[in-house]
Amino acid sequence: MGTSTTVSLPVSSSRPGLGWRGHRVQRFLLQDRNLGYLFLFPAMLVILGLVAYPFASAIVMTFQAKTAGAPGRFIGLENYRELLQSEQFLRTVFNTVVYTAVGVGVKFLLGLSMALVLNQERFCNNLFRSFLLIPWAIPTVMSALNWRWIFDDASGLINNVLVRLNLIDETISWLSNPHLAMFSVILVVVWQGTPFFTMSFLAGLQAIPKELYEAAEIDGASVLQQFSYITLPRLRPIFITALMLSAILTSAGIQFVLILTNGGPSDRTMIFPVLAYNLALGGAQRLGMGATVSLFFFPVLVVFIVFLTRRMLREKGE
Amino acid sequence: MALNMTTQRRAFRGLGNGVLLVMLLWTAIPFYWMIATSLKHDKEIYGYEATLIPQRPTLDNYATVFRETPYLLFLRNSMAVAVGSTIVSLVIACLGAYAIARLNFPGRALLARGLVFTYLVPTSLLFIPMFAMMSAFRLTDSLHGLIIAYLGFDVPFCTWLLMGYFKSVPVELEEAARVDGCNRISALVRIVLPMSLPAIVVVTFFSFTHAWNEFLYAHVFTSTTSARTVTTGLANFMSQDVFFWGPLMASTVMSALPPVLMFLVFQRWVVKGLTLGGVKG
Repeated sequence: MGTSTTVSLPVSSSRPGLGWRGHRVQRFLLQDRNLGYLFLFPAMLVILGLVAYPFASAIVMTFQAKTAGAPGRFIGLENYRELLQSEQFLRTVFNTVVYTAVGVGVKFLLGLSMALVLNQERFCNNLFRSFLLIPWAIPTVMSALNWRWIFDDASGLINNVLVRLNLIDETISWLSNPHLAMFSVILVVVWQGTPFFTMSFLAGLQAIPKELYEAAEIDGASVLQQFSYITLPRLRPIFITALMLSAILTSAGIQFVLILTNGGPSDRTMIFPVLAYNLALGGAQRLGMGATVSLFFFPVLVVFIVFLTRRMLREKGE
Repeated sequence: MALNMTTQRRAFRGLGNGVLLVMLLWTAIPFYWMIATSLKHDKEIYGYEATLIPQRPTLDNYATVFRETPYLLFLRNSMAVAVGSTIVSLVIACLGAYAIARLNFPGRALLARGLVFTYLVPTSLLFIPMFAMMSAFRLTDSLHGLIIAYLGFDVPFCTWLLMGYFKSVPVELEEAARVDGCNRISALVRIVLPMSLPAIVVVTFFSFTHAWNEFLYAHVFTSTTSARTVTTGLANFMSQDVFFWGPLMASTVMSALPPVLMFLVFQRWVVKGLTLGGVKG
């Protein structure tokens, strides 16, 4: 730092060959502040242009009647009024809550069981672990397409097997039966999302010092007691982080519903990103209405996001 | 009267093995169905002669995909977008992360907070204004447009992950290098980056697979075959009238392979990166 404050003539420089101009630039860059802003400039440009600006313009759009390519017309709170009066929207709110709560809840429980099982010592355990994590690595669209075929009315795997076993006479419409569609979609969400929890929890389990269990054992604690007095409290921070992340990603995830049911039958699986998509880009191109649907859910998401941001910064000591 | 430890252990071991078996089947069956379907003739896929195990396995479906669909084009597009967005976001993120980790300037903490916040905002909140924006800049139906759009997620996420690693590189090493005449950039390139190799691998994995797997933006911003990536291309096969599950499953198997292989190779590092902030769950 010291060298940057003294004005040095080119002759006395330790690095010959730089002209006066070169020194000015160098001195400018020697200051943390200037260099910091310079290095962060591209990242800031990305954040402002691709997240902050679109987000702000989404807010503006909610007060507009707007189609793609045309400027919006200001209509005040009309979009909000129309949404709140629409039965479809109310159903969407309900569905989103069910979809997220059940999906995340089941993923959590299965993920925890998987992690506990994989944390036991066993022959070939690493192989099992790798295999169980693969659904997470498969592109979501590919899983969705595969499951759509598994659920297929006529020749899908499930109906195929059930008919063979003589368990059913007529094939079941997993994705178009109003009572089954939500269940089927959540099944897929759980299949692909459980490994995320497994990975997080397994990492947490492996970070718990073995001595704790040894000491507890000497004191005569049973396996269940060890679980509830050592394992659970130690995993709690990871539980919260994983649950919140998953709640954000599940509720805002559009791919499964879009590919499996597109919100149907009669809106039984309609969740907010899919409704926003259909309003904004499916036919009528009502961008303003679509943006309003997204924005309606933002306050809920933002609570999670802010909470998570704090936690993650704290974990990194920021 | 607690059971003795050995008995308890044995009971939980048995239970664990049982649960593991169920989980393995639950995970494996959909894979099996995907691969089995891709290897069947249509006769074995539909109707009364449908089979559970391919009786006469064939690669016809794979041949059909390459012969009769623009799948190769989709693959090329996905590859171009994934490589492009990975390289650009790596460069931007390395610089940004270095600044936050090493340089002292006002607003540093605020920027760090902004980064986490941004990558947690899901794209389903942003795709409508993004669509309007991309249309206005005539970036729809273009691979460049997709590369730019993906930076919105990749840059904050990568910067965040790298930042933590950069901090763990001892400052003394860098100071020594700078005394020897290294400037900040060469200190970053010669000292910090090589020492953060695991993080670079993780970040590369995440941005590559993110672009490869991304669906919403790719779906919304493209309407012509020429700019479709694998994910939208395949989803589009399905929305056409002809349902051809054999070739569709064949292309699904092929498209899922690159990210799965990458995951298996880099697994240890990926799991570590994931616990710092998940992307998919």
